Amino acid sequence: MAYSFWMPTRNAKPDVLQGTLDLMVLRTLESMGPQHGFGLAKRIQQISAGTLELNQGTLYPALLRLEQRGWIGSRWGASDKNRRAKFYELTKAGRKQIGRETDDWERTVALMDRFLRAAAE
Amino acid sequence: MRTLWNRLTALFSQRRRDRDLSEEVEVHLEMRAAELRQQGLDPNAARAAARRDFGGIEQMKETYRDRRGVPWVEILAKDVTYGLRGLRRNPAFTLAAVLSLALGIGANTAIFSFVNTLMLRLLPVEKPEQLLNLYRTGGWGKGYASYPLYLEFRKHTDLFAGVFARSGADKVRFDPGHSNSIEYVQREYVTGNYFDVLGIKPAIGRLLQDEDNRTPQAHPIVVVSYDFWRNRLALDPAVLGRVLKVDEQPLTVIGVAAPGFHGVEVESRAEMWVPAMMFRGQIMQPGMHWVWIMARRLPQISRSRIQAASNTIMQRYLMSVYGGQRDSAFGKWALEQRIDVRDAGVGISMLREEFGKPLTILMAAVGLVLLIACANVASLLIARGAARRREIAMRFSLGASRWRLVRQWLIESLLLAMLGTILGLAFAIWGERYMLLFLPPGAGERFDVAPDATVLGFTLAISILSAILFGLAPALRATSLDPAAALKDGGSQQPGHGARAGFRKALVVVQVALSVVLVAAAGLFAHSLAGLRSINTGFAAQNVVTFSLDYPRAWKSVDHEKHRDTLLARLSAVPGIASVSYGMPGPYQGGSWSSGIRVPGSARTAKEGVQVDEQAIGPAYFETIGIRPLRGREFDPADFRSTRKIAVVNAAFVREFLPGTQDPAGRVFSFDVSKPEGGEPTYIVGLVRDVLHDGLKTSAKPTVYVPFREAEVSYDPTLLVRAPLPPGALLPVIRRELSRIAPEVMLVEPRTLRQRVDDSIFVERMVATLSGFFGGLALLLAAIGIYGVMAYAVARRTAEIGLRIALGAAPAKITWMVLRDGLLLIGLGVTIGLPLSLAAGRISASLLHGIKPDDPPVFALAIAVLLGTGVLAAFLPARRAAAVAPIEALRHE
Repeated sequence: MAYSFWMPTRNAKPDVLQGTLDLMVLRTLESMGPQHGFGLAKRIQQISAGTLELNQGTLYPALLRLEQRGWIGSRWGASDKNRRAKFYELTKAGRKQIGRETDDWERTVALMDRFLRAAAE
Repeated sequence: MRTLWNRLTALFSQRRRDRDLSEEVEVHLEMRAAELRQQGLDPNAARAAARRDFGGIEQMKETYRDRRGVPWVEILAKDVTYGLRGLRRNPAFTLAAVLSLALGIGANTAIFSFVNTLMLRLLPVEKPEQLLNLYRTGGWGKGYASYPLYLEFRKHTDLFAGVFARSGADKVRFDPGHSNSIEYVQREYVTGNYFDVLGIKPAIGRLLQDEDNRTPQAHPIVVVSYDFWRNRLALDPAVLGRVLKVDEQPLTVIGVAAPGFHGVEVESRAEMWVPAMMFRGQIMQPGMHWVWIMARRLPQISRSRIQAASNTIMQRYLMSVYGGQRDSAFGKWALEQRIDVRDAGVGISMLREEFGKPLTILMAAVGLVLLIACANVASLLIARGAARRREIAMRFSLGASRWRLVRQWLIESLLLAMLGTILGLAFAIWGERYMLLFLPPGAGERFDVAPDATVLGFTLAISILSAILFGLAPALRATSLDPAAALKDGGSQQPGHGARAGFRKALVVVQVALSVVLVAAAGLFAHSLAGLRSINTGFAAQNVVTFSLDYPRAWKSVDHEKHRDTLLARLSAVPGIASVSYGMPGPYQGGSWSSGIRVPGSARTAKEGVQVDEQAIGPAYFETIGIRPLRGREFDPADFRSTRKIAVVNAAFVREFLPGTQDPAGRVFSFDVSKPEGGEPTYIVGLVRDVLHDGLKTSAKPTVYVPFREAEVSYDPTLLVRAPLPPGALLPVIRRELSRIAPEVMLVEPRTLRQRVDDSIFVERMVATLSGFFGGLALLLAAIGIYGVMAYAVARRTAEIGLRIALGAAPAKITWMVLRDGLLLIGLGVTIGLPLSLAAGRISASLLHGIKPDDPPVFALAIAVLLGTGVLAAFLPARRAAAVAPIEALRHE
């Protein structure tokens, strides 16, 4: 069952993951350079190593949102198999946003971490 | 900002973007499928798995689209188109809903326009909330005060930022200079600080100053209103310095007031302002009440403090003027005067006092009408929701969210409300015109009820509010379903219909309850009006035309008399005219004249003089108003030439002063009240029945009629013409004779006596007519509601009814079964409505004359009418139920 963790789940609401998904997409684009939707989905799946249950489709509204905010750009190009596909790439504003969001995220994690430790003691 | 721009541009390239998205999804699926094929899946399985991985494609696209456009603009446009299509598909439903709403909204807008004009609209002046009216009560008349009193209040700069006085706006002659016709203009006398205190700026030239109002008759200047300048002087820039002849006073124009300013009175619009010092009369006389005193309070001083201070000021002033006469009846009366400090930001209005409360009650009535209309539309929407279950279920399964569907419903409701509002505004304009017809000519002349921003805002607000009111519950109900079940059953069976029907039944109960209130109120007002109408005025109002005459100023009072005599002589020679006369003040002229008298031998006048109504009448006065003296005689022509003091008295006079006297002829009374037995005697020559000269709502007062002798009476009388001709034919005759004798004499306010009586009860007529209309409307709407619910219930139970008939139930029994359901609802509604309507009756008690607010016949009738209407509305579906053919009913299943 190679695709078991992509199983569509009825209750997976894209908005729940919005903040994290945005950062994942931005980080992935930063490390990989321009990517099409499928490539991004696959990469995110690989990195999360089966811990993330997500419909691939939910990626596209997220991409649109990021594009509307001016953090990524898109253009139609040719894929490695010479097929027409839409490629997404990071903009300057997007790079800055990664910095901001990473900071935010680390602060949140550190805070939660402290709480969890405190609770455990 | 950028996001918004992106979204806006996206609106215009929708199709291309949709294609792009589809292609992108396709590429994704293909890539994933290719990957899976490499792992060894066959193409079909790979394709299916790719789709599964992707999740709901259409759902994603919907989310994507929502996010892409400017969502609300785009979705709104879509929902509106969709909604309009739905309304077009269902014309009967749309018509019923829109008409119900239009009547409700139209009635509200019409009444609110009056409320707005009369009670809410602020004057277009600086800080209107600081304006006060120092309203005089007690003593003579109400509201009007004297010039010396104004000067007294003006001294108190510790309370007021400014105090000014103004006469009422008077209709006076205006000589336009370019034609022979005589025009009239609304002129107001004002103090020099009038514009300053109000904060009005000139459009051109300058406005009045205190220096312009120092010396009597020394300031022949005038400020005109912008409207006057535009309408009568064609915005002539050379108007400054021009001399206008107004009321035969030559006045130099010094300026034009700012546009939109028409003075401070609601129901009459001043067109020009003249310094008070130009008033022809004893301006400094304390007994001459001719100005309204208005003030701007200092911002830090409250109205209640000003009221307290004004009481002191008034007491001190009254003592200084009347203190010496404090023991006489006159002095006592004079000392009873008070100042009532009122807010004047909404302007001065005499109509407001009479009409304010009725308007509030009518406003409440139309509010109820709108509620009933909303209940109807809600009921219709619920029925429609039931019919559209399949469509809703379909949209659900296609991925629409519940919120989206509720929104769609609300937008349809808003569309209905908007259509209703547009039609309602048309109704409102028509209704306002109709309502204006009730106002007596004096009051309604310049009454501006054209909808302004406030009225339109109100209308919009109530229409949106009603859309939510009637739309939300049906929307929530219609969208609370299990799509799978709804699709499976094909929309014919309706789980949850019990609750739905229950809600509609509750709406019907509410409708009936509110209708009881409106019908009962209509009945109360109609009964009260009928009572007023049946009051015997004491005279024959049929076929009598009354009018006054306006003479050129140069004419002396002997000229008036000569002219009047000539006119009456000529008119009485016209074939078809039965009788002519005159009287001062005359019947129903909106005023009364009173004098103090002493009656020798009467206990009533032994201690002090008593005020009685006085009428100075011409020859054949009683004949003209159609009554005969009960005893003695009417005045004969010789009485008018003699100086002997004689009088005719009415029955109330005899009851009051000469109780037990059969024939008062030969008895005396005296207008000299200085001595207990009176001074110079006035001989009573006749007795007439009681005539209600002064309105239907007051009982007849003791009245003395004296011969109208020009030298003794300082006002022109009202002329009366009795003719069996219709007034439409009589008026041209009067005008013709007038212009033959002297074209410069103008006919003023010709009205039949009947109309004048009607004018005196215009509030009652208006309230009775309108509440009758609203009551009828409520009944109609409730009947539609009952019919709708019952018809729906019968349709739903067709199978069951068919079965019952097949099993041998008699048609009458079926009819009764259905009818009983309807009666239950109506009975419940009436039970709830009855206490409500009793409360409503108590609230409007002050508008009722001669009946109690719990008038039993009215309430019995209201219940009967409701039951009758309800039974009729429920009977039609019941009969249809009884006629169900069993075979058909089973096929129906």
